[in-house]
Amino acid sequence: MTMEQILFYLMAVIAIASALYVAATRNLVRSVFMFFVTLMAIAGLFVLCMADFVAITQVVIYVGGILVLIIFAFMLSGRETLSNLQHQSKFISISKLPALILAGLFFIVLLNIILKGNISGLMWTEKAVLTNNVISAKDTTIDNIGVNLMSNYLLPFEAISILLMMALVGAAHLSRKERSA
Amino acid sequence: MNFYLKYIIAAIGLFAFSGFFAILGVYAERKVSAFIQDRLGPMETGRYGTLQTVADVIKLLTKELITPSAADKWLFMLAPAIIFIAVYMGFAAIPWAGGLAPSNINLGLYYIFAIISIETLGILMAGWGSNNKYSILGAMRSAAQIVSYEIPAGFAIISVVMIAQTLNLQTISAQQGVLSAEHSKFLGIWDVTANGGILSWNIFRAPHLLIAFAIYFIASLAESNRAPFDIPEGESELVAGFHTEFTGMRFAFVFLAEYSMMFLVSMIGVVLFLGAWNTPLPNIGSVRLADWTTGMAWGIFWTVVKVLLLVGMQMWIRWTLPRMRVDQLMSLCWKVLTPLAFICIIISGVWRLWVM
Repeated sequence: MTMEQILFYLMAVIAIASALYVAATRNLVRSVFMFFVTLMAIAGLFVLCMADFVAITQVVIYVGGILVLIIFAFMLSGRETLSNLQHQSKFISISKLPALILAGLFFIVLLNIILKGNISGLMWTEKAVLTNNVISAKDTTIDNIGVNLMSNYLLPFEAISILLMMALVGAAHLSRKERSA
Repeated sequence: MNFYLKYIIAAIGLFAFSGFFAILGVYAERKVSAFIQDRLGPMETGRYGTLQTVADVIKLLTKELITPSAADKWLFMLAPAIIFIAVYMGFAAIPWAGGLAPSNINLGLYYIFAIISIETLGILMAGWGSNNKYSILGAMRSAAQIVSYEIPAGFAIISVVMIAQTLNLQTISAQQGVLSAEHSKFLGIWDVTANGGILSWNIFRAPHLLIAFAIYFIASLAESNRAPFDIPEGESELVAGFHTEFTGMRFAFVFLAEYSMMFLVSMIGVVLFLGAWNTPLPNIGSVRLADWTTGMAWGIFWTVVKVLLLVGMQMWIRWTLPRMRVDQLMSLCWKVLTPLAFICIIISGVWRLWVM
């Protein structure tokens, strides 16, 4: 096995095992900290796909932003609320039937894609290899991303920025003190 | 195998360096604080107290590791390691001299920015794991502070990136000296590509970066939890903040992380604003000062000198200014630094398009 394959299997195993722990554990805070391990393993997988920018963005946004906010919420809500949340009976029970069905169906979809899709011989990848339209490990990926964001994907990009702006205004409005009440 | 061996040696070397720097830094901090407060500082152990920190390290190594019975054992044990590793990994991408960087990656700057943000998670882990109200309060303050100050620091960095047009730290360094591949102009008017030296540093290539540097420096003080932004460990209110419960080596790791962080943020500041490994001496006519003082050994020398000057400034500020209150801290970040950093970004765009 090459170094890349060893690293891939290592990180895939870490990602899956830690994700299972996140879903199965009763200790909510530990599951959040374990989610950090999952995210780092997935960032490593992104690097192996030569998507280094995506990997680092994942760390900045999920680890530096979202995870910290989740833990913040935990710390602001007292231990009693937390222990109420943690009193769940079993991992699999009747009340969780909808979630189980959804997860099962999604799993079938994923299995179908993996089994039926001829992943090593896809048309567009073969075409890209033939026309030499590929990136190598030493290439700078951000130039490409920047140009595409400002040309091909300008509309989604602007739409997302408006959405974020709305969220920002909403948050500012919610946290503002009432003048006379 | 040799290919991997090189990286392993570099990693061990960096670890040894951060340990050595922490010992040196603690000693320097004590002597600087003593000088500022008109005391003598450590005097007994070794000549002028030089062996004091070594003795402290031996004491920390031999101390018992106490885990509080109510603590979350795993989180408590892992937290110091995560805090330190987050900072230590940041050193992987930073250049020391021309052609000398542990890893010369295209996204170096962005990578460091991402890795540093993991430290917050380690601090929160320490705070929650200790199961102590002072620890939790300290960790929350620390996280709130770091998350807020990442914004002005990030915008100050972006205004440099807009001037430099790259995220590769080695390229950003090379642009600020005589080895520059493109033309650099002092204040946008005088072509100093051949002169180099202090004239072609980023803060003089685009003068508004001087403001960006000030913003970055203030924000970096807050990110490394140093005074005047050390409310996470304000000893008058919180005992010692998030590391109240740590003893022995775990406590040492938290401190190792703090001193490594001081060195790391200063190094980023030097690379982005103060000419990285380039010499401050310009070429003047036939006196080729810049050419004479450029090279591998000179590069390491200039980097270390500049970084130590910045670290010295951090210590000076710590022992001069009083601690800020929480609300003052937040209003400084959101009402002063963030708008200023936004203005810096706008000027950067204009400067790049029409002046450079």
